[in-house]
Amino acid sequence: MSVTWRLAWRNLWRHSRRTWLTVGAMVFCNVLLIFLISLQLGSYQMMIDNSLASFSGHAQVQHRDYLEEQRMRQSVPRAAALAASARDALGLETTAARGMAFALVSSEQRSFGVLLQGVQPVYEPGVSTFPGLVRQGRYLASGDGGHIVLGSVLAQNLKVGLGDELTFLGSGRDGSFAAGVATIVGILDTGMDEIDRSVAQVPLAWFQDIFSMGDHAHSVVVRLPSLEQVPVAVATLEGLVGGQDELVVRDWDALQPGLRQAIASDMASGWFTYVVLIVLVAFSVLNTQLMSVLERTREFGVMLALGMRPAQLARLVGMETLLMSGLGMALGVLLGALLTWYLSVAGFAYPGMEELGAKFNMPGRMYPEVSLLSLLWGPVVVLFGAMLAAIYPALRLFRLAPVAAMRAV
Amino acid sequence: MYKFLVACSVLMFSTAAVGQELTADEIIRKAMDHYRGQTSHAQMSMVIHRPDWQREMGMKTWTEGDKRTLVRVTVPAKDAGNGTLSVDGNMWTYTPKINRVVKVPSSMMSQNWMGSDFSNKDISKDTDIIDQYDHELVGNYQQDGHYVYVIQSVPHEEAAVVWGKEVLHIRDDWVMLEQQFWDQDDQLVKTLRTLEIREMDGREVAAVIRMSREGVEEEWTEVRTAAIDFDVELAENLFTLSNLRNPRE
Repeated sequence: MSVTWRLAWRNLWRHSRRTWLTVGAMVFCNVLLIFLISLQLGSYQMMIDNSLASFSGHAQVQHRDYLEEQRMRQSVPRAAALAASARDALGLETTAARGMAFALVSSEQRSFGVLLQGVQPVYEPGVSTFPGLVRQGRYLASGDGGHIVLGSVLAQNLKVGLGDELTFLGSGRDGSFAAGVATIVGILDTGMDEIDRSVAQVPLAWFQDIFSMGDHAHSVVVRLPSLEQVPVAVATLEGLVGGQDELVVRDWDALQPGLRQAIASDMASGWFTYVVLIVLVAFSVLNTQLMSVLERTREFGVMLALGMRPAQLARLVGMETLLMSGLGMALGVLLGALLTWYLSVAGFAYPGMEELGAKFNMPGRMYPEVSLLSLLWGPVVVLFGAMLAAIYPALRLFRLAPVAAMRAV
Repeated sequence: MYKFLVACSVLMFSTAAVGQELTADEIIRKAMDHYRGQTSHAQMSMVIHRPDWQREMGMKTWTEGDKRTLVRVTVPAKDAGNGTLSVDGNMWTYTPKINRVVKVPSSMMSQNWMGSDFSNKDISKDTDIIDQYDHELVGNYQQDGHYVYVIQSVPHEEAAVVWGKEVLHIRDDWVMLEQQFWDQDDQLVKTLRTLEIREMDGREVAAVIRMSREGVEEEWTEVRTAAIDFDVELAENLFTLSNLRNPRE
């Protein structure tokens, strides 16, 4: 056995330049795959973090029917206290209670229906990027009462600016008429029209007063440092709301089901590129191995005449391929790991990305994800592709007739 | 003698024919007039029922012609003084809490009126159906010794209406028994049913009507009319914004 391995190894280096070229193609392909896959996984991480950071958080405590029906009465009792105990239990400041109510908001000239958000001015900046995007005036502060921060497009639509008053009409949690007047203290600009057209935030305490909410709110939002902490945090929150059957804890996947779908569809298109890359490398291996088998026809004829069986010869070719692609994989993984590890520490930015990040109150660099999956997925598939490519040259050996082969030119 | 008989029979036939020939448009017109009168003033209560809670409001309403309605809440004390005025399809609401009159934009007209199952439109322009829809008599039946017309009303192409069609059941004394609202996919969305008919101010009036959405029968809103006077004298300025803000009565 070991003789055959040694034979295979020596055969590889009879044409060392050709072998190195093929190995080089594999290494290049592997490094590229590792880089692209970790970048892709890293960008998903970033995409998830960014969209969760903007508003929904990583997990929320809600009334069990609120997500589907969004009714005023489907609320969380003692919400601010629950948010406080969640802060303690999780050891994180990034937890806040929120109330939501549909209301007719009117300026002197215009009226629109909006989803008014009651937020805790002190804690909201920890769970959402919106407070950091106030471009005029200021965000809400503790002690604010009838004050409001709204999106720039909504402000334009209402034809109002800082210091103007808005009136709200809606119905309270008990069904009573809810009405209030609030002064605009800040206008925020997220750069996303859809949000700038709809966001309107008032202090939670004032909101609870206007909408007869008592100490209720509609969600307790938790933002976590990373996605990995979600399951543990969800379990902790579930412990906190244990006794209350009407409350549930929802993780980001339940809150934003579209996110995972968007990632899945992007992943599918990414894989297509990788498959093309892998097929190209496999053909290059096929070419090398076919050449090396064809040029050794006479040699193989002699070996057959000496009593080796075609299956043994086929195994020899297989071993050569395995050794070659194993070398390509080892070098590829090593180089790829070094590259992505460096980038995962130093970060990676497209030109203009940092400005973009600053505009949307998001990180300006992306960090590729180094994991066993991102490091090994590509190279392992390349290895299998190379082995598949060796099948055809190996099969040719079974059709070899010793005498004819020895006479072949 | 013969001539007399002929004349009689012609007369009979023609009256019968008149009875038969009442068009769907006329039936709806009569039902609306019956319900609103030239003018009316009523004491009503609205009960909003949900599986886990219920809420009751007392209101006074005034109507004049087809296009003017004023609703003012009297009970509970917390909400007393809130009012809604609609004139010619425009709607304003007044809230004493903030002492302001706010115009309800047309985009909000299909929203619920104060958490009830009635939309703003249902509250304000209930005679829109007369000129924005095409009416067709599609059936009839007998009930409690009355003849009931079934009319299907389909909105005009360009009408600003969210419904695909409405189906109305109108009794021959012009009491509306049922009004069904169908969406544009031909699904029944909600139904307004008359649960109780009483004589008030010399007319048979739908004293209790209930709006419920299809499929959620445990959620409904009832409007109960305690008293109604038809063709009353109304102050000139009743349907004005200044009266909405500062009621003079």
